[in-house]
Amino acid sequence: MTATKTSMAEGVPATGPLHPLQPFDIGHPAYAALIEPETAFWGLERKDAQSGRELLDAYNAKAAAFSAEMDMLRFHLKPTAVYFNPTERCNLNCSYCYIPDTMRRGGENMSPARVLESLEKLHAYFSGHMAEGRLPQVIFHGAEPLLVREAIFAGIEAYGDRFRFGVQTNGTLLDDSAVEFLTSHGVGIGLSLDGPVAAVADRTRRRWNGDGVFEHVTRAIDKLQGYPGYNVICTMTSENLPHLTAMVEFFHDRKVPACMLNVTRCTLPGARAARGDDQDVARAYIAALERTHDLYLNTGRKLVVANFANILIAILAPTARRLMCDISPCGGGRSFFALATNGDLFPCSEFIGLPDFIGGNLFEHAIGDVLDSPAFRRVTGRKVEDVAGCDVCPIRHFCGSPCPAEAHEMNGGMDRKGAFCHFYEEQVRYALRLIADGRHEDFLWDGWDEGTEVACAIGVG
Amino acid sequence: MNKTTPVKPSPQPKPALIAVRKTCDAEGTGLSHYVLMDKQVKR
Repeated sequence: MTATKTSMAEGVPATGPLHPLQPFDIGHPAYAALIEPETAFWGLERKDAQSGRELLDAYNAKAAAFSAEMDMLRFHLKPTAVYFNPTERCNLNCSYCYIPDTMRRGGENMSPARVLESLEKLHAYFSGHMAEGRLPQVIFHGAEPLLVREAIFAGIEAYGDRFRFGVQTNGTLLDDSAVEFLTSHGVGIGLSLDGPVAAVADRTRRRWNGDGVFEHVTRAIDKLQGYPGYNVICTMTSENLPHLTAMVEFFHDRKVPACMLNVTRCTLPGARAARGDDQDVARAYIAALERTHDLYLNTGRKLVVANFANILIAILAPTARRLMCDISPCGGGRSFFALATNGDLFPCSEFIGLPDFIGGNLFEHAIGDVLDSPAFRRVTGRKVEDVAGCDVCPIRHFCGSPCPAEAHEMNGGMDRKGAFCHFYEEQVRYALRLIADGRHEDFLWDGWDEGTEVACAIGVG
Repeated sequence: MNKTTPVKPSPQPKPALIAVRKTCDAEGTGLSHYVLMDKQVKR
């Protein structure tokens, strides 16, 4: 248990040297946060009404259960999803892509038969441990999976009762018949768009000949209007930060149900050149979140920013989180893994292109052995408490010190931080301020806590 | 979620202490490149 050494939050009651709750300044005029880092338990105390022992008592009453819950979440999950790369090729050459351009320009494709063979092997693996009534997820990912549309549609047709399918696509090949097929099969669809106008969006997402694809993606968004199972990713770069608020206005206007405002993962040098400054990203991101709230208040319709919603959920209900980048060890290689076109298995798509992280091959090795391979263990063994600076950070289990691929390639090791420490800190501060103001539910999708139980509820209705 | 009428924020009381923790079986699966928020897309 971490001892409190310094008080960072003005007005926070003094905590003793062995007090498990650490102060964390959230920049709120009325509230200060106290966090027990190991269990991710927290409380917000009004600065003018110190509550004495109530929070500590609430923590002590359930500390063992909270600790067991975090242990399960962090170390005992089994994979329930695979990121399936049916082709190495892409018809775009986006500036920050983590897949090497040699692969995207001239790589291999999987045949329909190979896709079906892969799904059969994956089904055999997942059926050994999936909970009753739950289906594993297969997300066709890339590169651009719709370049091998015949193969992946054959897989979805044949295995629709054994997997939940998703497709992450750049949207350029999403014609009417593809939309009809995917929506009628209940397939989740992820698109990408980096700006509210072509002049911004096309700076980073372009074809090999330099042509932008803004118009294609907006047409795809329009075709999907009313379909609940799609979202759009906007990658935040130095090119689009000034336009982030306009970006969420654009999404809301087009009735996009959910988006993600993702940082640029700096695994490859091209992405490092495109990334925004850590502090600038945080400022633009929080301004955009505030704008989504204004839009909700004005219209009654939410645009959920899913990656921020996930941070909120990590605070409110750690085990209910949907994304596994913001927990340590990250989900790579333990709650999901990535399948490359030639059958090679990586802990995460982010490592495709880094041969040192091949754990084995789907067609040659048992998946269980691959998960236990040295390559996978380098990732699954990366714990936030081993990262210098994160080891004493009160919010280490709301952030997880992402991303291992980025830390390894950009900063020289698994025991290093990634590129956006300040951004994650500011997200958590903002999330806690929203909770203090009773606004947090406005940023979450309806029914997010379905199936959860209340373990602690103090000061809420 | 699909309402079209403005939402009027109600004034929030300021309790001395706020602490919330919900729990469930862990099933998070996603990376940041893709997310399925709903447990099952309705056909």
